[in-house]
Amino acid sequence: MTGRKARWMTRWTTGGRPGDRPGEQPGEGRGDLPDDRPGRRPGRPGGRLNAGLLAGGALVGLVALAAVASFFWTPHDPTLVDAAQRLREPGGGYLLGADKFGRDTFSQLMVGARTTLYVGVVAVGIAAVLGAPLGVIAGMTPRGWLSELIMRVNDLVFAFPALLLAVMLGAVYGPGTLTAMIAIGVATVPAFARVARAATLQVMVTDYILAARAAGRRRPAIAVRHVLPNIASVLIVQASVSFAIAILAEAALSFLGFGTRPPIPSWGRMLQESQELLFSTPRLALWPGLAIALAVLGFNLLGDGLRDFLDPRLRRIRAEG
Amino acid sequence: MLKVEGLTVRADGVELVHDVSFSLAPGERVGLIGESGSGKSLTALSLMGLLPEGVTATGRARLGGDDLLGVPESRLKGLRGSRMSMVFQEPMTALNPLMRVGAQVAEVMTLHGRPRGEARERAVELLDRVRLPEPARLARAYPHQLSGGQRQRVMLAIALANGPGLLICDEPTTALDVTVQKQMLDLISEVAPALLFITHDLAVVASMCERVLVMYGGRVVESGPLREVFTRPRHRYTQGLLAASRLTPRGTRLPVIEGSVPAAGHFPGGCVFRNRCPHATPTCETEPQLTEPQLTDPAPGDPAPGDPAPGDPAPGEPTPGEPTPTGDRHAFACWHPAE
Amino acid sequence: MTPPNPGPAGAAAPYLVKRVAVLLASTAVAAVAVFAFMALLPGDPAEIALGVNATPEAVAELRRQFGTDRPPAVRFLDWFGGLLQGDFGTSYVTSAPIGPQIADRLGVTVVLVAGGMAVALALAVPLGTFAAVHHRNPLGAAISAVSQIGIAVPAFLAGILLVFVFAVRAQALPSGGYVPLADGPGEWLRHLLMPWLSLGLVQGAVLTRYVRSAVLDVMREDYLRTARAKGRGSTGALWRHGLRNASIPVVTVLGLQLATLLIGAVVVERVFVLPGLGDLLLSGVAGRDLLLVQGVVMVLVAAVLLINFVVDVAYHLLDPRLR
Ligand SMILES: Nc1ncnc2c1ncn2[C@@H]1O[C@H](COP(=O)(O)OP(=O)(O)OP(=O)(O)O)[C@@H](O)[C@H]1O
Ligand code: SF4
Ligand SMILES: [Mg+2]
Repeated sequence: MTGRKARWMTRWTTGGRPGDRPGEQPGEGRGDLPDDRPGRRPGRPGGRLNAGLLAGGALVGLVALAAVASFFWTPHDPTLVDAAQRLREPGGGYLLGADKFGRDTFSQLMVGARTTLYVGVVAVGIAAVLGAPLGVIAGMTPRGWLSELIMRVNDLVFAFPALLLAVMLGAVYGPGTLTAMIAIGVATVPAFARVARAATLQVMVTDYILAARAAGRRRPAIAVRHVLPNIASVLIVQASVSFAIAILAEAALSFLGFGTRPPIPSWGRMLQESQELLFSTPRLALWPGLAIALAVLGFNLLGDGLRDFLDPRLRRIRAEG
Repeated sequence: MLKVEGLTVRADGVELVHDVSFSLAPGERVGLIGESGSGKSLTALSLMGLLPEGVTATGRARLGGDDLLGVPESRLKGLRGSRMSMVFQEPMTALNPLMRVGAQVAEVMTLHGRPRGEARERAVELLDRVRLPEPARLARAYPHQLSGGQRQRVMLAIALANGPGLLICDEPTTALDVTVQKQMLDLISEVAPALLFITHDLAVVASMCERVLVMYGGRVVESGPLREVFTRPRHRYTQGLLAASRLTPRGTRLPVIEGSVPAAGHFPGGCVFRNRCPHATPTCETEPQLTEPQLTDPAPGDPAPGDPAPGDPAPGEPTPGEPTPTGDRHAFACWHPAE
Repeated sequence: MTPPNPGPAGAAAPYLVKRVAVLLASTAVAAVAVFAFMALLPGDPAEIALGVNATPEAVAELRRQFGTDRPPAVRFLDWFGGLLQGDFGTSYVTSAPIGPQIADRLGVTVVLVAGGMAVALALAVPLGTFAAVHHRNPLGAAISAVSQIGIAVPAFLAGILLVFVFAVRAQALPSGGYVPLADGPGEWLRHLLMPWLSLGLVQGAVLTRYVRSAVLDVMREDYLRTARAKGRGSTGALWRHGLRNASIPVVTVLGLQLATLLIGAVVVERVFVLPGLGDLLLSGVAGRDLLLVQGVVMVLVAAVLLINFVVDVAYHLLDPRLR
């Protein structure tokens, strides 16, 4: 992969989705208005709450609340098959009705939130734990063979999307939540590694790192003491964006039968089960569909919002890759 | 030929340039100097109609018989690149990276009605005129294959292509190294028609211009024939600039006067230089007007009797002379001018 | 100040050679990975085929027939050598050759992905550009907001929604199935319309944001101001100088998206019961036809690598700074 392309890739993948960025201030980033001259407009303070951050936080909070609450209470047992309640219309304790087995949709949604977050946390955890250190190593030794090797393997893993990994794992070990999480996590490693590498490359040329290196500090010490804290905000944003992608992947896998197995409720499988009843009972597709969309929207907004909030270095990484 | 009156530039309710007036005769070379953030670029850009989004200019500016401010872009388009041109500060980013240099020079001519083939030929001639080596070959190069100095020459070729009456140069050499700067400046003074030259470098103004405008805080604080302004600066800001520049070798950036330029919108009321001026008095809380002092000016430096009491806002009334904002004579806006 | 050498195409050749080598090498390594994963893991195809009651002799005999008694390295070379000639082996389960099945299905998937991409581009380029140019007014902001929501909808959910609207409610389009082009272009189109839309709308939403962002970035470039200083209007400057520059980052994203689309197609094929590669893959998994799964996975991975390759080359062609 060429340097230039890598730069763009990082730029795009850092944010995942370029959004309404603070860079839209008039005249900003213009060649004749560098920020470092005396008397410039004062840099906007980082850490300003923005609407996206609040909305994203609220949506994510809602999902988390449903997930946590489901441990203590759900209106009904979400796995209870009750022929008497088959395809029950909403109302009377069944807030959103029941499915073809008489299971309460609302309860299933609540426990489904748990599944979604569980898969997301583990998958993003795998990606971060593997990807971030690899990216930092590659970024700290940009010309070494190790860096080259890491980035090549990274490109290769990139050719195995989560779905293919999950199908392969599922074909061999049998599908399930665990294989789905591992597949999504591994497939997300390249994004993390790329972003961590780009951020590290930037941090490595700053004065304090140069000073630390001049002072003879060893690389691992620099990585832990100086690099990681400085790229943490980039990684946090990446985690949020990856979380959204993981939710989509989990839903798709469950829809195909490679994710969470019955009877554990999952939004993707709820959708898949609803498909045959689309003609008669479309609401069964509506609720899990809405849940997925809102959760993904929440994490995307949160990612965008965090990027603006955690400025200003993030912006520069996006701008220069 | 160019006449600017009461030019005011605003962004989000903040005045970035305030009531700037000056004029340029055909063939005249005027320098525009001042520290970073004093509003020089915005002044130039508003004449070209190239202000960034969200920034607006009011006032009057005429080039020959054409209005430049408050007219629709479609009218301005015809003037830009043909009757007035501009060379920007940053040569590295001013050219389209995906287009051959020759095509970029030719474009400005085809835009103003020259046939394609002719424009291509003339583009090579122009590259030759700005002293680029092997112009025919260079015309087929992409910008990234050129050095900063070469790119700036290409920009100059673009600016000169249609024989404009006015050339605006916004710090055209700041991004270049010293030897290249010299060549570039020689070239500009050789080829330029009427010139509005923005710079930080007082020595450059001294060698290129006949007249000078000193800007600070979005205002013209002093203006006049170069020799008079440089040998006998009256405004305390100009005085500071000159004093500071004597301490450093030529070619370096304008040294900063004690204190730093406030951010846009944070200049003090009254005289904008008041918070940094060693001669400030309560009088300076009233805004001084840009005026040509009477030849019989009784006691320059002393406030005339009847000056307003501190805090008494009576702007315009106790001016130390008649307001002649667009005159060519030495004028300044200071209550306690230097001798 | 020596003038640079503006040699045009010649310099691209070494790059191309190198890039092709990288493509071949990555494909080979990917093949090793797929093989290692699928062929060396638990589950003996011969045992599976014969069931638990088979005699050891029968199993050994079948192993010899399948060739699974040979050392892994030999089996890999055999398989990979076959791949290079388009031979994917013979299914252990159905005894049918795998290559022709893949070839059959590939066409459907390619048509699906290409159509989806076309829809996405047709949406994203105008909308994204519009949203960038008008980023200060409500309509531009509305496009941004809608695209943000579009991103949050998975392709299969979009498919289900479309089915609900156009098949269930309006009864205008079939809810699934496939009619080959040869049996009538009209029906072919009617069956593909919704699959294209469900892939294209979602990817279009993602792409719209990238296009918008790329155009916004370009609008701030100095050379656009230069173009206006030459006498172009802002729209003219954007057309002549902006869009090609903006296309450079968008092409990169397009490559990433094509890969995503390929995978999205697997899911959409399931929603609309289309006989594509995804369908083949899933039925292979269901039937524990490991060699078939191995073959389809390899084709999809190779496709992703190939797309990456094409994008890299396109990138080089677009940007003279890389030549
Ligand atoms: N688009 C904008 N929006 C808001 N403020 C701006 C914008 N462009 C410039 N400014 C502010 O206007 C003031 C004058 O800017 P200008 O670029 O004209 O200064 P200058 O004299 O050219 O300085 P320099 O020598 O650094 O180029 C500065 O304080 C600057 O921060
Ligand atoms: S008016 Fe007053 S503050 Fe301003 S420059 Fe003159 S003396 Fe200084
Ligand atoms: Mg400037």
